[in-house]
Amino acid sequence: MNIIVCVKNVPFTQEVDLALDGSKRDIRKEMLAYVINEWDNYAIEEAIRLKEQFNGNVTAVTLGKEADEEVLRRCLAMGADQAVRIEPGALQADAFMTAAILATALKTMPHDLVLTGVQTDDLNHGMVGTLIAERLGLAHAAVVNSLKPADNKARITIELEGGQDEVAMIHLPALLTIQTGINEPRYVSIMGIRKAAKKELKVIKVEELGVSADDLVPRTIIEEMYLPPETEGAEMLQGDAAAVADEIIRIIKEKGVSL
Amino acid sequence: MAEILVLAEHRNGELREITLQMLSKAAELCQKHSLELSVVVLGAQTEGLVPILAERAKRVIVYHDERLKNFNVDLYKETLADLIGERKPLLTLIGHTPWGMDLAPALAIKTGFPLATDCVDILLDAGKPKVVRQIYSGKIYTRVAFKESPSYLITMRGGAFSAEKTVSFQAEIVKHELPASLPALRKEFVEFQETSKGAVDICQAEMLVSIGRGVGEAEKVGILQDLAKSMGCVLSCSRPVVDKNWLPKCHQVGTSGKSVKPKVYLALGISGAFQHVAGISGAGTVIAVNKDKKAPIFRVADYGVVGDLFQVVEALKSKLGK
Amino acid sequence: METLHPAAIKYLGIPGFVFGWFLLIIGVGLFLFIIWQRLKILLKGQTDPRFKDWGQRIWSLVVYGLGQYKQPRYYWAGVLHNMIFGGFIVLSLRSLDLIFSSLGLPVLKPLMESMFGDFYLSMKDIFELIVLAACIWAILRRAILKPKRYEGSHQFEAYLVLGLIGFLMLTDMFYEGSLMLLNPPNTLWLPASRLTAGILSPASPEFLKGLYPLSYWLHLLTFFFFLNFLPLGKHFHIITALPNVLFRKLRKGAIKPARWGVTDITELDKLGAGQIEDFTWKHLLDLFSCTECGRCSDMCPAHTVGRPLSPKMITIKLRDQAYRQYPLLPGKKADNPKEESPEIIGELIKPDEIWSCTTCGACEEECPVMIEYIDKMIDMRRHMIETGQAPKTFNQVLTYFEKTGNPFGKPAVKRADWIKEFPEVPVKVLKEGDRTDVLFFVDSYGSYDPRVQDIVMAIAKGLLQAKIDFGILGPEEWDSGHQVRRLGEEGLFQVLVEQNMAALEAVQFKRIVTTDPHAFNTLKKDYPKPFEVQHYSQFFGELVHKGFLKLQNSVSTADRYTYHDPCYLGRHNEVYQEPRDLLRAIPGLQLVEMERARDRSFCCGGGDVILWHEIEQEEMRMAEKRIQMAREAGANVIVTACPFCLIHFEDAIKTAGLEGQMRVTDLMELLVTVL
Repeated sequence: MNIIVCVKNVPFTQEVDLALDGSKRDIRKEMLAYVINEWDNYAIEEAIRLKEQFNGNVTAVTLGKEADEEVLRRCLAMGADQAVRIEPGALQADAFMTAAILATALKTMPHDLVLTGVQTDDLNHGMVGTLIAERLGLAHAAVVNSLKPADNKARITIELEGGQDEVAMIHLPALLTIQTGINEPRYVSIMGIRKAAKKELKVIKVEELGVSADDLVPRTIIEEMYLPPETEGAEMLQGDAAAVADEIIRIIKEKGVSL
Repeated sequence: MAEILVLAEHRNGELREITLQMLSKAAELCQKHSLELSVVVLGAQTEGLVPILAERAKRVIVYHDERLKNFNVDLYKETLADLIGERKPLLTLIGHTPWGMDLAPALAIKTGFPLATDCVDILLDAGKPKVVRQIYSGKIYTRVAFKESPSYLITMRGGAFSAEKTVSFQAEIVKHELPASLPALRKEFVEFQETSKGAVDICQAEMLVSIGRGVGEAEKVGILQDLAKSMGCVLSCSRPVVDKNWLPKCHQVGTSGKSVKPKVYLALGISGAFQHVAGISGAGTVIAVNKDKKAPIFRVADYGVVGDLFQVVEALKSKLGK
Repeated sequence: METLHPAAIKYLGIPGFVFGWFLLIIGVGLFLFIIWQRLKILLKGQTDPRFKDWGQRIWSLVVYGLGQYKQPRYYWAGVLHNMIFGGFIVLSLRSLDLIFSSLGLPVLKPLMESMFGDFYLSMKDIFELIVLAACIWAILRRAILKPKRYEGSHQFEAYLVLGLIGFLMLTDMFYEGSLMLLNPPNTLWLPASRLTAGILSPASPEFLKGLYPLSYWLHLLTFFFFLNFLPLGKHFHIITALPNVLFRKLRKGAIKPARWGVTDITELDKLGAGQIEDFTWKHLLDLFSCTECGRCSDMCPAHTVGRPLSPKMITIKLRDQAYRQYPLLPGKKADNPKEESPEIIGELIKPDEIWSCTTCGACEEECPVMIEYIDKMIDMRRHMIETGQAPKTFNQVLTYFEKTGNPFGKPAVKRADWIKEFPEVPVKVLKEGDRTDVLFFVDSYGSYDPRVQDIVMAIAKGLLQAKIDFGILGPEEWDSGHQVRRLGEEGLFQVLVEQNMAALEAVQFKRIVTTDPHAFNTLKKDYPKPFEVQHYSQFFGELVHKGFLKLQNSVSTADRYTYHDPCYLGRHNEVYQEPRDLLRAIPGLQLVEMERARDRSFCCGGGDVILWHEIEQEEMRMAEKRIQMAREAGANVIVTACPFCLIHFEDAIKTAGLEGQMRVTDLMELLVTVL
């Protein structure tokens, strides 16, 4: 079973005070640490589990610069067999372009299953996976939280809102965007990641892929980035824990809840 | 006449809330910019849906066919590609839901029209649509423009707009047939299943103590259980808590969990990502405690405390005489 | 009447010395074979460089080996053991003499008939009585008192060996006793022989003539049997204990590298100990040397609170595994190839046994034969981390360490933000090329945890008041890595060390002073450069001693203070006195000592695993137990010099409902109030 997983190296922004750069069209990234996109972590873990179960081959692919190879090495350390990095050069790719580039690269790689995360921690689009699927003519489903291959199909569960899931049989080859919680991703140690450096990591330049010129024109353009409006927001309660607790209890009672 | 086309999403014979939210926003835009509002619905039992839609748009385009019993992306894509290709609406709005995320990008490639997803606002700037999106989990907002195109696709975030009907319509109902040649379906619907019911029904609670990633570890959940118990109420949580198996799914509040409407919602260690916040839009009073003063939850909460949630919990417990 | 020496007597025509030679050849031959089989196990182990620092090693041998310095820590057991040990030393000459004469080669006869010989024979008798008494007492003690720490040890073997030793004494005593009766007069003072002679006096000369050679040969037979029995079980320690002490670990608190002699760990096929052969030869020698005395488990705080860890059982299980894998008689499997060697973690040793350990070092401190535990635990943890057997709760924390340099996942750039909380205390953040006297290494908890920030602030205030030129590294400082290394994530530890070394080498300073003992220990022992590092208690001890700081204000005499020795300040680094001196220098301070103090201090729970993984079987928190100990000592205030101890004690006081009755204070916080 050949599985391809598209992954992305994203900034770790928990508790970070993000600041905008001079152009106001991007954030300042110098001081940020980078991690594997959370959804992608679940996707690669799922791929490795399938490989372990069905004797498969897993390739991890990313569109990124040299520093982003760390995300691929992580995938290799988890159990992927080979990795491919597509070097964007000076290209600023939006979601559409990213999908075009990845789809072109994937076309030449054998695949029974392509997994991506539902969305990324940074731009939160949630569309690249499905864009790739349509370009490759693959059957697809988004927000999958359970996956069980059976012959040339797979039984999947799609996480709908409101506490309901949809169970479906999808034909392979297919592309699925993977939701968090589908599994528990394994830990990879630093040593594991360093040793994975011995596994194959191919670098391809975008120019070498032969993506059509039209596909390299962005469909969406960020005009401006700005910090969220300081709306009225919450009334902040002051004082130490005891004072705050008093206030909270008072509010609760005021709203008609008996304690 | 330029038109905004809204795709009605429905499940189990009922319109999803997001459909009404999109129609509200679209109606506002149509009125402001002199556009026509059409809504398209595909299904096998549309009788119950059409009357509601008829009050919300100028035109209701109905595809009524047994094959449309359940959402199927291949069918929807073919049908809508034809429709959009023919009508070339200025904007096509689709809900940013799992089905919407499965459909919209595929539609964008098929029709060749640009797509922006998960938008929290739409504006027309000299006739050109622009959207507002949140990135970095709500920490940053972006205003996004499109590449020039005869038609544009947008998926809208649930809960970004009110579902209130501000404009009344009496729509013309137009029946359409599915395209003559349809591709073989590559996905078969099996069934719906309720995500584990569990013993706890957070939807009925008058008050909820809700925990998020800020709780830190599974072992600390017990402390919060105690607090909930001493307050005589139930524990709920945000998604990461369930992902990490600290609590079962039945406790989850949010788009992929439950929508709750308690009188008081005490959010502890919850950052306020929109997927969660969407689940508490109906809550009465939201009190949030978080270490990070910039946490998005403070934008939607009524009262906020910046501090260590465990200290506050300790204080609450001792005041309540645990 | 002259009697023939048993070696000279003819038995069925065969002279005794033939049996002597026979016994010797079989006995020694078998023994050498057994030893060789055991030695092969050591050869399967990994390399371990113990063949240097001979001065220290020989001294250790004298103090701990010959001097049995640690034995009396358990008083009566220690006395008993030293009686038998002393007996073995003294009686070895006697055994040699008996053996030589059994061969018909009375090489030592001249020595035994000299003045020294007279003295020696009396000593021999005295010691035989001492040893016999000790054996009897030991048997009774074991059978009646049933000390708890012997549970799980091989009781039958214990009784058997005590019996054998006793029998050895008796056979020699009866041999000499019968000879004494047959060959009067006796001018020497031989109390043991006199005793047996007294018992035998009613016997006939014929009986005695039959008894003495019988006793003699029984003695030798028992001796060789005993010799060969030793390597089969816990009494192997009789042979291996002295070498084990000689090759002991000289650097307490340091952790061995992943593999000695390998600096680039990526070269290694595997990391850590998953099979018995992954341990070093010295660690395997440890397994041979265990006497199953149980002192380690008795002192182990994890064991005391009901966690599944029993250090003694870890050693016994590993030893038995080694013997199973490499039996004395190879049998069907000719030479067990390493690939077949089973996993030691999982069935044999359960993961929670290993995660229960807080690396406090109480076990190693106690063990009379210097068995090392901590390195083995860490090696096993390394293996578990590499093979995904670590608790899932670690994933998040380790990722945070890697990406942000602290376990909270808070941005590295905010590491020095605590300075803003206390604008009245100016703290300098060092830039590249800066120079200062004292580099204050704050570490992660000090930087980000609000409670520990109070301690850090107290230290800064103290430094300011003493007009010390100091600075902090700020965001360039990453976690010292102490916990990371001891969790078993060796690769990540190296990443942290690299980052900190770069930061430390970019500035100039005379010494490092740390907030907490963990950072102190790792900077001193695990980092590649020999920095001058001190824990703040040592530094402030010096300041007070030299008069740079005066402890002027007094504390209430109504309070009773007790000092809890943090594991990484006390046991691992032997800093016991400085904090006490500081406390005694505070006017009005009433100091009491807990029973378990100094090197017997009871761990608070620790600064690593417990923060991120709960051991379900625990009956009570270690910190709670320690608070009880403080109360028993009559104290209402516990002073500690480690932020983790502080956090655990504060929690324990709350859960035990003792708020108002007891409180904890950090040493520095206390000092600042009296400056």
